[in-house]
Formats: sequence, C-alpha cells, structure tokens
Amino acid sequence: MATTQSNRQEDFRGMLSRMEREGQLRRVKRSASPRHITTLCHQAPAALLFESVEDYDIPVAGGLYWSRSRVASALGWPEGELGKYFAKAAAKPVPPVMVTDAPCQEVVVTGDDVDLTSLPIPFMHEKDGGPYISAGVAFAKDAEFGLNAGCYRMMFRTRRELGMDLFTASDLRRFYTKTFERNEPLPIAVAIGVHAYEHMAAAFKAPSGVNEMEIAGGLRGEPTQLVRAKTVDVPVPAHAEIVLEGELLPTGWTVDEGPFGEFAGMQGDLKHNPLFRVNAITHRRNPIFYALQMPWENDWLNGPATEAACMRVLGMAGIQVAAVRATEGGCCGWSVIASIKKRAGEGKNALTALLTLPVVKQAIVTDDDINIYDPNEVEWAITFRCQADKDIVILSGMKGKHVDPSVRPWDLKPGELPTTAKFGIDATIPEGIPAFRYERIVPAFKDEVRLEDYL
Amino acid sequence: MSSPNTDAKIVRTIEEALTRPVYFRDIIEATKNQSYRAVLCAWSDVRSRLTLERDEFGRYWRK
Repeated sequence: MATTQSNRQEDFRGMLSRMEREGQLRRVKRSASPRHITTLCHQAPAALLFESVEDYDIPVAGGLYWSRSRVASALGWPEGELGKYFAKAAAKPVPPVMVTDAPCQEVVVTGDDVDLTSLPIPFMHEKDGGPYISAGVAFAKDAEFGLNAGCYRMMFRTRRELGMDLFTASDLRRFYTKTFERNEPLPIAVAIGVHAYEHMAAAFKAPSGVNEMEIAGGLRGEPTQLVRAKTVDVPVPAHAEIVLEGELLPTGWTVDEGPFGEFAGMQGDLKHNPLFRVNAITHRRNPIFYALQMPWENDWLNGPATEAACMRVLGMAGIQVAAVRATEGGCCGWSVIASIKKRAGEGKNALTALLTLPVVKQAIVTDDDINIYDPNEVEWAITFRCQADKDIVILSGMKGKHVDPSVRPWDLKPGELPTTAKFGIDATIPEGIPAFRYERIVPAFKDEVRLEDYL
Repeated sequence: MSSPNTDAKIVRTIEEALTRPVYFRDIIEATKNQSYRAVLCAWSDVRSRLTLERDEFGRYWRK
C-alpha cells in the first residue's frame, strides 16, 4: 500500500454540509440531552445535527441514512439508481492509500486519561441495556485474511469498556475466535463518523479476504486514505471524526450485552459477547459524534448493495432489468420489487432468481411500464395482472434468520439454523393477454396545458 | 474534556434502584435530574465494583 501525505477528500463533516445544502439535514441549536437524541431524530423530517448537547462540547449527528433520499444525498448518487451505482463501483475496487498525518489524530488520549464518558454516547431505545455506540466501524487485521472493516454495535459498560456484539457470523468474529483460542487479545480500532462511502463498504458483506476499504475506494472513485492507529497496528480512515483503539479481550462470549433495538425494527435479546477494552481515543480537534439511528439507517446502509445483488442475479438469469427497489418495510433487503422487460416465462424466472438471495424473503416482479417507486402502481399491477392460483410462487424450507420471529427461533436446538418459506408475486402481464387490454387512461390534450398557469 | 470524579450520591441512587429488577431506562429515569455524563460515570463505578444480574428481558438487579 502506498504511503503519502493526506489531502482533501470529502469527509464526514463535508458530507453533512452537502446534505444540509441539499435540504436533507437540519441543525438543532437548542441544547439537547443524549437521552432525547434518538426520539428527536425519529420525529424529524431530515437528518439532524445537534450543535449543542448537554454536558458535552461535542455535536451529535443522527438520522443521516433514514430514507432513500437521504442516502442518495449522502452518496451524491441519483435516488433511483443506488443499486446501479453500487454495482458499478463495487466492480471497480480502488485500493486505499496510507497517509502519514491524519485529522483523526489531531488529539490523542491514552492510558488512564481514556474516559468513554467524554463522548456523548446516547441512550437510544426504551429497553436497551445501556447507552450505545451504534455507528462504529471496526477495523482489525488477520495474518490469513488481511484487513477487515465491519459495523458492530457497542454497549457502554465502564469508562474504559464496551460490550461488542459479535454474536452472528462475521469476519471479525472469525478473527476474534482465532485469538481467543490462543488466549490472546485481538487489537482493533473503531472509527466513528466516517463518510457514507466507508460506512457502506464496511456494512457490505464482502467475501472473506476482500478489503472493504477497496470497495470504499470504488464507491468514492478515489483511494480511501487510511492512517495507522496510534497504539495498535491497525489502519483506520484518516478523516474519521473519532477513533477508539484497544483490544478485544480473550474472555470469550461472557459479557452481558443488549438488548438493543435491532435492524429489523424489533427489540433484540440479551446476549453474551466479548469485551472491548479501550486504551486510546483519538479525534479531530472539534469532533462530531455520530449516533446512527435504528432501524432505517442501519437498513439503508445495505439497501444499495441489495439492489445491486438483485440486478446481478437477474442478469445471470438472462433477464433485462429496468429497475430494482429494496423496500424500507422489508428492511431494505428482505422485500424487493423488480421491473423487467419480460419475455414469456421470465416473471417466474425473475422471482426464482431473486428468492435465491439469502436475505430476500419476498419479491414482486412487474413489467417495465410500472413505476416501482410508487406503491399504488405496484398494487395496481398485482391487482390486475396477477392470478393468485397461478402467479404466486412459494418456496419452502429455505435458509432463514433468527431475527425473524415467524420462524420461531426459540424452538430451535442450540446451533440449529432456522428455515423459512419465501414467496414471490408475478405481477407481469400474463402470457396470452394482449397488452392493449391494459391500455391506461390518458387525460385528453394532456400536453396542451399546465396546471401552474391556472393557479 | 477532563474526567469528572464519580458522584457518590448518584451511585447510591443507582444502587437503591437495583434492589429490584430494572431496565436501564429506569436508572436513567431515577437520575434524570443529574447530568447525563455524571450518571454514566456512576454507572461505570457500579459496573466495575458490583456483579449485576440480568434477566431474560435485560433487566438489571443486585443480588
């Protein structure tokens, strides 16, 4: 990896400024308590930047990726083409560069001076087990797999300790398992307040051995700048707002962590997880803390990647795709809608392809005359182009997820994986019905007059 | 920002709350007139000194 001096590239605060200019972020002047940040973000029509937070001189941002429009603004991509842009960028990864000086290390706090209560870690949901750092991007290295970046929640325990959720399978869990079995700590660094490019790449389920920061470079269109953390041999984004450095102790899955408001919009369970001991905090001179708001911000971080994956499997099935939409109600992954330029039989082919994606549980396929971003149009297509006894595809016994209560995960034996049924709705014009049967009404002389001339 | 000392009064309030199963929200509620950071410092002290029980709902209490 090349080493160079850091230079200007859009960072987290630059992204906030741009979102504000585009009307997607509002500043809050009145002082707010860390107790109230989440509920205020949930009520807001835009992302919020709390300039004044009680007891702290650190502003807090939240709600940045709460909707398709906010994600599009953060990334600087067209709203309807998030999947296409993600697919294009992920196909052209750009390796990161190491820099020698970094804004994220303008202030360095180590040893006994480390105090996590110096950060405005908010208490977010009614039944959470404590205050949470929800926007941490964790970096770790492994001799076999190289650098890994991923998103993991962390519950505040003490001034130096956080419980880190490594319950589900992940690369970091794999790295940690190896060091745990050797009874050694795993050095890690956690960046808070990184640009959407780095955050989305870290959330992306890249295959083991793929450096997520190369994906970030693809999304950014230029190399992500990394700097070596001060106390551990792990690189972190040079332009992060705050970095926590330390080690995952070899205590195994013994520390109570949770419950936490999960990505599926439901309160999760109490878990037992590893302990992250923080040995250093580095940050910019005037850092901004980022409190990612569940569930939609977490879901939207995966939305473009899901849409890209849908386009990929549809392409592999030889289907011409017009548009793909991962819907919010389906947590931007479990439920998808695709419009296609259909040839005979391809409605069902498309459904089958989409339902093979591990996360997708339900899918709708329409013709390309349907605007899939308009729920009324999708419903219209289902109503008039679908016969339930012929056009609903149900697949049983497919891989499910514990987070879905409808698979009754509590009935499973330890280590047993859940299975689920999936369904798809073919809302394309059925074979044998001529298109003119679906001719839409058009107002007479619609191009001759404009309403604004009459108001 | 320098680290504040732990406020013994807040620690006592938290310990009293923990005599029965409580959600963390109840700890925040019981200390709502105190500075948030001071509550986190006190919680840190409690968690460092005491072993707290958790039930399946995630409630804390002290045996």
